[in-house]
Amino acid sequence: MYPPKFDYLRADSAANALELLAANPDAKVMAGGHSLIPAMNLRLADPGTIIDIGRVADFKFLSANDGYVGIGSGTTHAEVAASSDVPSALSEAAGLIGDPQVRNRGTVGGNIAHADPASDLPTVLVALDATISTVSGSGTRMIKAGDFFVDLFETALNDGELVAEISMNQDGANTGSAYAKLSNPASRYAMVGAAARVTVEGGVFTAVSVAVGGLTPKAQAAPSVGAALVGQAATADNIAAAAAAVQNDLGDDVMGDIHASADYRRQMATVFVKRALTKATERAG
Amino acid sequence: MIPSPISSHSLPRVDALGKVTGQACYPGDITPNNLLHGKVLFSGQPHARMISMDLSAALALPGVVAIFTAKDVPNNEYGLIMPDQPVMVGLGSSKPHSDVSLWEGDHVAVIVAETELAAAQARDKIEIEWEQLPIVTDVREAMKDEIILHPWHGSNILHKYQIRKGDMAAGWAAADVVVEGSYTLPYQEHAYLQPEAGLGYIDEEGRVTIEIGGQWTYEDQEQVAHALGLPADQIRIIYPAIGGAFGGREDMSLQIVLGLAALRLQERGIKRPLRIIWSREESIVGHHKRHRAVVHTKWGATKEGMITAVSSELILDSGSYAYTSTKVLGNAHLMVTGPYVIPNAHLDSYAVTTNNVPGGAFRGFGGPQGAFAAENQMNKLAEKLGIDPVELRLKNVLHDGSILTVQSPMPPGVSIDQVIERCAAEIGWGDSNQLSVNGHQFSSIQSLIANPQSLCHGRGIACSFKNVGFSFGAPERCEATIALHGQREIERVVLYHGAAEVGQGSHTVLKQMAAAAVGVDISQVELVMSDTATSGDSGSVSASRMTWMAGNSIRGAAEKALAAWASEERPAKGYVRFTPPPTTGYAEETGECMPNFAYGYVAEAVELTVDVETGHIHVDKVVCANDVGKAINPMLIQGQIEGAVVQAHGYSLMENLWVENGRIRNPFFSQYLIPGIKDIPDHVESVIMEIPDPIGPWGARGMAEMPFMPLAPAIIAALHDATGVWFDEIPLTPARVVAKLREHGIGG
Repeated sequence: MYPPKFDYLRADSAANALELLAANPDAKVMAGGHSLIPAMNLRLADPGTIIDIGRVADFKFLSANDGYVGIGSGTTHAEVAASSDVPSALSEAAGLIGDPQVRNRGTVGGNIAHADPASDLPTVLVALDATISTVSGSGTRMIKAGDFFVDLFETALNDGELVAEISMNQDGANTGSAYAKLSNPASRYAMVGAAARVTVEGGVFTAVSVAVGGLTPKAQAAPSVGAALVGQAATADNIAAAAAAVQNDLGDDVMGDIHASADYRRQMATVFVKRALTKATERAG
Repeated sequence: MIPSPISSHSLPRVDALGKVTGQACYPGDITPNNLLHGKVLFSGQPHARMISMDLSAALALPGVVAIFTAKDVPNNEYGLIMPDQPVMVGLGSSKPHSDVSLWEGDHVAVIVAETELAAAQARDKIEIEWEQLPIVTDVREAMKDEIILHPWHGSNILHKYQIRKGDMAAGWAAADVVVEGSYTLPYQEHAYLQPEAGLGYIDEEGRVTIEIGGQWTYEDQEQVAHALGLPADQIRIIYPAIGGAFGGREDMSLQIVLGLAALRLQERGIKRPLRIIWSREESIVGHHKRHRAVVHTKWGATKEGMITAVSSELILDSGSYAYTSTKVLGNAHLMVTGPYVIPNAHLDSYAVTTNNVPGGAFRGFGGPQGAFAAENQMNKLAEKLGIDPVELRLKNVLHDGSILTVQSPMPPGVSIDQVIERCAAEIGWGDSNQLSVNGHQFSSIQSLIANPQSLCHGRGIACSFKNVGFSFGAPERCEATIALHGQREIERVVLYHGAAEVGQGSHTVLKQMAAAAVGVDISQVELVMSDTATSGDSGSVSASRMTWMAGNSIRGAAEKALAAWASEERPAKGYVRFTPPPTTGYAEETGECMPNFAYGYVAEAVELTVDVETGHIHVDKVVCANDVGKAINPMLIQGQIEGAVVQAHGYSLMENLWVENGRIRNPFFSQYLIPGIKDIPDHVESVIMEIPDPIGPWGARGMAEMPFMPLAPAIIAALHDATGVWFDEIPLTPARVVAKLREHGIGG
């Protein structure tokens, strides 16, 4: 397949990108192109004009400071996967996206702006309580990951607004994070993804944050799991019991397909939450 | 004359260089000058009557040369075993019922244009009005005959076979234990690398010529001639390089429409070649599948482990048209009792017409469905009796002269006992309970290491027999011509033969056999293959028959050519039409017959690991002991064993065709998953045994279907060993495994 005809504009700075976007309100923004181009090839998208922000240096950075890490939206998955500054759950999820070509071209900003429910990063960012900073003609905004993902392929971004940076706490002392994924065997997209971050002090969970994705229309926080685990001893039995509480947070819109029915995915949510928690707990120690 | 010996030699394939360098020409690669392009329009209707068809908008498009429909077909019917399918569904045909589409893959038009794009655009402009008819997709519903799909046949039961042997009441009375099982088997797509493609034109001698991938040039020729109403010698079939077959090219795909278009274009004064290439989606929708099946069966045995009685009901979904269903049914019917002595048997087997994709030939040809029931029953009996499954099999297996359920003796050369013993020895069966790959850790979660608490290991075994060559009275033959060139010495040997090279290596092995039969070096042999204008009738490459049949034909032809050489004929030619010992079809009431003239034997043991929380299965090791009689080319045999194991692995664990209301919903490799390199077993040990077939050429047996057959039941047995749970349905997708394990309180 090949895409419909389109006009191509290249931005050389963040400011330039916003100008071009203001002048071409129907345009689609492209960085790595690994979500947009396939959609165009399948004729699911026909934007008419593409604004390429793939070379905008303003969006390309990854820096850690004072327990906090900021990732420019133009950072590739491969760069995130290779970073020891980002939480383990994030580097491990980024390393599982697609294949090496996709990871070398695809960007974090493009991925989350696309908000594919089968994508890995939204789940991790919700669990890590990340903050998404945006720029637009009217200034900047900070949006919590849990508020950013609104629905199937839908985010809180307004027209003319771009993702600039994703930031979050590093895995600090006594804290570990992990991502567990049940991949679609063909596409490697997540049929079930579970991300967890835990803090264990004196053998007891003092903070637990869990999110799941792939089976729900959007990445979904699982507060019931944290509620069941905080204050409990960090044991395998407690983890297993708490993981089952994810069922309370899945809602009624669990999705199924030929590779994995909704029932199976629901069952796997518990298994994958358990395994992500187990690994995160190991890392916290 | 004492036949010259043959040595086992892993000669690299004669077609290897062309295929790895891209020089080999597959049908879609052949691009003659002045080429026209075609598309086939499928009905897309599982059951509907055509009311009207409007071609005007399509014909008006620039670049469209012609559109042919049902009314253009001289004799609008075809079929490998019975002509029950219209070449094209549509109006104006001389054949009754041709206006009714019974399958979404029925052809309704072939569009000829200057470019592929123009042909595709015209195809999409054809307007058809259909009257929807009620569809029947469930075999048990179909058997009620409330809606009869082929009115001329009078019933949806396309065919029934039965076997009545011995005294069932006495058999059950003698049984100390009885095991009853219901098994469900899925469709399987052939998934050959090369989707259907072909070229049609009129050759220099005025013959309607089709270059295409198939499995039997003479059968293709006969079916095209029948539909076009022409004598067979006016049809020429040529096979260029063929990208896989596995039974999927036994029936017609594009042969008839290419021939029809070439013929009709010539009548309009257009003498240009036409090429059609199917996409993967068209291929998956447009050709038959391995039959899905249900089997209900009951086996009785004494506490000593001797089988006393077997009853079974086996139903194949043969889909909308017969294809080879009655023959596949015959095999399933014979093999549903496995390679065992069954003193009392009451067996009913049905092929049932539905509006689903046709069932047809696929490696094993009914054998895998039968073997699945038989081997699962044996493994369950072993458990119930507390007898080791290897020992139980050895107590009951067939030997030379053993009487089959069809009340005739096995032909000599039965080796199933030795095959089972060798397989068991190679995997270390019974020596200890330690799996050779015990402790293998795999993770179904990409990012995380295995969770050892959720991994269980198990080992299982199964065995099978499979006929070599056509069965049940089907006319069996194989022609070969050998020409010896030279004056004082034989300088050059030319073998003329029809055997299709579908990727299995037949041309290589035929060359080796011709060299040995004449007594020259392989480099002196030339092949002239697979063209009805030059090479004879070989029969099909199917039923694990070509090495066996071609070898015998080559030995006969070589003997005659050498005699001619001795009497100074130059070039010295020898021709033989080899026929094996005759077989007979099932008797209607009792099923008595002489089903086959030769068999191959196989046993497989599997070690696997299952993650009981996620349902993922990882096959650690497969040992396949396959008696090939004589290993003429061991490397090719190993390739066939490994290929069959991987194909059966997909059948057992992954391949999941989604057919809903008569339509295939996942005709893509992104959704119909076949094993990739990371999915296949870690180790496949090919144990090649050479116990001669008394009437095989140099003792050789057929071997390429056999390793497919026992893998699924061996996996089921290993999964039971690992979890204590029996599974009666494949594929063992993670969701199916988890659902069943949780019913038993495991993993959840």
